[in-house]
Amino acid sequence: MRLTRLALVLSAASCASIGSPGAGDVDLPASGAGPFRKLDGNETLGVAPFVLDDRTRLWHDPAVLPADPASDGAGVFLFAAGTIAGGDVIVRTRADDGRSFFGGSVGTTPAVVLKADAGEHVVAPSVARVGGNVLLYWSDGAGVRVASSADGLTFAKRAGYALAADVAASWEKTPPGAPSVAVYPDGRVRMVYAAGGYLGEAESEDGLTFRRLGPDPIFGPSIAPDLSTLAPGQKPPFDDARVDDPCVVPRVTPAGRLHVRVLYTGVDAAGVTSIGLAARYGDSGPLSRQTQPVYAIGKAERAPALFEWSGGSLLYVSQDRAPAPDTHYGAIAAAFAPANLRLPPATAFADSP
Amino acid sequence: MCACSMQAYANPLDAFGLGSRAAGMGSAVAADTSGFDANYYNPAGLARARGLELSIGYFRASHYLKTNGHDNDVDPVKGLVGGLVAPGTIFGVPFAFGLAIHLPDDRISRVRALRQEVARWEMYDNRNQRLFLAANLAVSPVKWLQIGGGFSFMSSTEGKLDIGGLLNIFRSEDSALRHQVDADLTAVRYPQVGMRVELSPDVALAVVYRGEFKLKLDLSAYLHGDISQLTTAVYALETHSVNNFLPQQLVVAGSWKLTPDLRTNLDVTWVNWGAYVPPVASLNVALDIPPPAGGWPNGVTPPQAPAPTRIEALKMSDRAVPHVGVEWRALARPRWEGFARAGYEYAKSPIGAQTGLTNYIDRDRHSMSIGLGLRAIAPIAELPGDVRLDAHAQLSELVTATTRKADPADLVGDYTAGGHIWNVGATLTVGFP
Repeated sequence: MRLTRLALVLSAASCASIGSPGAGDVDLPASGAGPFRKLDGNETLGVAPFVLDDRTRLWHDPAVLPADPASDGAGVFLFAAGTIAGGDVIVRTRADDGRSFFGGSVGTTPAVVLKADAGEHVVAPSVARVGGNVLLYWSDGAGVRVASSADGLTFAKRAGYALAADVAASWEKTPPGAPSVAVYPDGRVRMVYAAGGYLGEAESEDGLTFRRLGPDPIFGPSIAPDLSTLAPGQKPPFDDARVDDPCVVPRVTPAGRLHVRVLYTGVDAAGVTSIGLAARYGDSGPLSRQTQPVYAIGKAERAPALFEWSGGSLLYVSQDRAPAPDTHYGAIAAAFAPANLRLPPATAFADSP
Repeated sequence: MCACSMQAYANPLDAFGLGSRAAGMGSAVAADTSGFDANYYNPAGLARARGLELSIGYFRASHYLKTNGHDNDVDPVKGLVGGLVAPGTIFGVPFAFGLAIHLPDDRISRVRALRQEVARWEMYDNRNQRLFLAANLAVSPVKWLQIGGGFSFMSSTEGKLDIGGLLNIFRSEDSALRHQVDADLTAVRYPQVGMRVELSPDVALAVVYRGEFKLKLDLSAYLHGDISQLTTAVYALETHSVNNFLPQQLVVAGSWKLTPDLRTNLDVTWVNWGAYVPPVASLNVALDIPPPAGGWPNGVTPPQAPAPTRIEALKMSDRAVPHVGVEWRALARPRWEGFARAGYEYAKSPIGAQTGLTNYIDRDRHSMSIGLGLRAIAPIAELPGDVRLDAHAQLSELVTATTRKADPADLVGDYTAGGHIWNVGATLTVGFP
């Protein structure tokens, strides 16, 4: 009888309530490049997942720069292309939490840092800190140009091209564009660019003029499979038509290896876009493909930009915004990784760009 | 949906021991046990009991396991332990009945479904979060031989999810879904047998076998309903996996009483990890959403059944795990005795290098333990037997090492992993003559 009572007491003590769901999935290792989930309404101050949204200026092609490279905080500068008074511009804005950008609230607008000259196109910006200056790259349709700035707000265009079309690069069926420039951990300046549905790579000593690395592209579309060979439910590659809009983000892995990650826009045979990841170890050579897209929501997402800090990784993309069934325009949306974690609530909009 | 791992496949006592005396000696007690812990370490030891014994205790194993320098917040294993030994004789042959239990105080059983590529501490994250119960019988046909055996029971779960209702994709507030969860807590049992041979009053050898078990887990979900009165949807999912897997084990053990006050034990446990069944579920998915009359509205893309996922094999290797323990009777008085204990065990990780898609994290484990014991003999008139209070502290160091991924486009990438585990506890035993 006493044993029975003891057993009952033990059972009651242990089973009086439903157990906690448990943990074990905090700060798990990740490459920082996805998979991403779009931000929800509690993680943005605007209409999620959009973080920069203007139906007249049509912000697109985001590029990012940590606000304080010496810290590991969530402050970030976001550069984007847009249209003001019929002309192409590049603007800069800032968020202290990676999401609440100046210009997101009523009555504010990002600072214009670059305007197109007459007849010029200014799209696909990329930005990097090189040698104490902030260098802003863009595509004008004929090549990659560059402007420099000491403060990141006032840029002076440099004459000529940082990377011009080259007939010797036979795989480049279109002029180089969509530049993405990064400074490697050892100080080298590298550019990954798009041309004719492929990606190429170039290097620079000063960040102002680039030379191509090798005669071949470093990445191209997936090989389109014979659809009859696909298993039931198996989908063809998401990037079998072309790859575009690279965003290169180098890092040194915990194993001490240089890890070059490139997010890109993958386009399939039906024209549907997704964000993919390609990468390599080491400083040269072709990229290896992640077969699954890291962000794919069927909203014409393209032109990725990646911002990493100690709290995770934020992906910014150009994405279709549809406030009404008959209204569509492009805006900049954000997504987060690790996808199983949630960001703290968004803070107030930044008070300046 | 994708391939999921149902990671819960073993036994908390394999990792952290049963009872403070054994835990303080590195779990090297198969040839030197006679209390309730014999239900796990060697059922034959039950037959050595000289009177009824009741034990109760508590332990907590706190994980400090890190990847890339960040603590992964792996749940602690904690709860009550206890049991009894009831000896007697049948036809003049000594026999004993034993019972032991580990009763977690957070949950009786936990199942987690993770994609195979999601990183997790495979050996510690989830598998030890479960109830354990063992019942055994033992006999001693001759004075120098004890034989015992019985069954262990462990908890697990199976379940079914049924969702139905109206889903309005244009006005989410008008959606009305009802769901029903049907989950069963089930038990699986596996055998254990043991033998102890007393070569002399100071030397004993033992052999123990613990059986393997695999508990299949079947989960099903059925989603059906009306989508905005446009069309209907039926989504059926079935998963099949091995939820619980415990490898068979063979223990060869010896115990030497070097002096009247000093005993040393050595156990070697062979663990058949090579027979491991990967905790990855196979999925059968059916999705039927016919287009509405007139086609899908602009901007609405119907979902498609997920592509089949290639399940990666998980290579595991058999391991021999040595355990060493010493016990010193430091104090011996007519009415009480004091003991100091120490132990060590080394468990080389059975999991192969995780250079590919999967990320079953594990590391080689060195465990060092200490223990103290106090035995009061006939402390009060109403208790003519003895009262024993044992405590232990065990530090397990998981050697930090780096995993290098073969594919640079791997979404997890290179990582370092390591850490340590603190296991502390105490057990109170009351013996009746």
